[in-house]
Amino acid sequence: MNQIVTTGIVLTRREFGEADRLLTVLTPDHGKVALIAKGVRRPKSKLAGGIELFSVSNITYLQGRGAFSTLISSRLLTHYGQIVKNLERTMLGYDLLKILNKATEDAAGEEYFELLRQTFIGLDNPDLDRRIVELWFYMQLLKLAGHTPNLRKDAAGNPLDASAKYFFDYEAVAFARKENAEYTPHHIKFLRLGFSVPAPAILSQVETALDLLDASLDLIKTILKDHIRI
Amino acid sequence: MKILLIEPDKILADIYAYALVESGHTVSWQPDAQQAVLTADKWRPDIVVLELQLAAHNGVEFLYEFRSYPEWQDIPVVVLSAVPDVSLSSVLQSQLGVVAYHYKPRTTLEQLLKTLDGLAISA
Repeated sequence: MNQIVTTGIVLTRREFGEADRLLTVLTPDHGKVALIAKGVRRPKSKLAGGIELFSVSNITYLQGRGAFSTLISSRLLTHYGQIVKNLERTMLGYDLLKILNKATEDAAGEEYFELLRQTFIGLDNPDLDRRIVELWFYMQLLKLAGHTPNLRKDAAGNPLDASAKYFFDYEAVAFARKENAEYTPHHIKFLRLGFSVPAPAILSQVETALDLLDASLDLIKTILKDHIRI
Repeated sequence: MKILLIEPDKILADIYAYALVESGHTVSWQPDAQQAVLTADKWRPDIVVLELQLAAHNGVEFLYEFRSYPEWQDIPVVVLSAVPDVSLSSVLQSQLGVVAYHYKPRTTLEQLLKTLDGLAISA
């Protein structure tokens, strides 16, 4: 059997039998891996510490021929322990794990691993509004799936006008000009930044971020539901 | 009914346990999530009463862990918490098998017992 050494983040955990656990682990180089961790629920299990949720771990497993490979060793590299000190962050963390698991194929690439790692870093930072992390996560997920909305030109193909107001045309996946509409060029610039930055903390540096957040989050959630099976 | 009571405050736990025993239930009190999982494994409760604010692993973590055991999927969980119920969305409550949510400052012992007795009847 082939022995693989890599880094992993646990996406799902399910108890199996007396002492075993079935895991779905996201890795940067082998996509999503289904693993069986044997004896992990026994008090002296050496594997247990390395398969904590909201963590990045070094893992070694034997690639099996069946549905599950066997985890043979794990070592915790980073645990984002601040997440579970706050109920809202914990719930959001579980939600985002579930969404990422649903939205990705087994061959998910390194970019998804990095997305999740950056999301944990964001959620682990108590000074960073969790809704900014949530918004950034959804935007990056849309981008990775190839569904970035057009934020350069309006639905008619004209450059965006700094003094105009816009609504979002879901069919054209672009903003369209309309008097007294909900979105301003500030929202559009904020979204443009969100799609391009590699970490959510950068988004929080926008002075008006908190004012733009709710409308942006509603919009991005709707686009996400339209385009990605979650 | 066998009730697993997960409550970090010993004084409150004593009060709840006394009321539950008086009304005919058997109670196992545990102050944290880790002890609660071990107890559930050995004791097989019929109902879990859970405070969300716990030391080390919080109540949401406990719920996800608890529901990851196939044999515990159908055990009803009643949340009895100092955290207002708006913090736990109704979708999530339903996904995690929370059958009732009692916000401690607005819940009398009588109301809690009524919920638990209702569950005992429907079991």
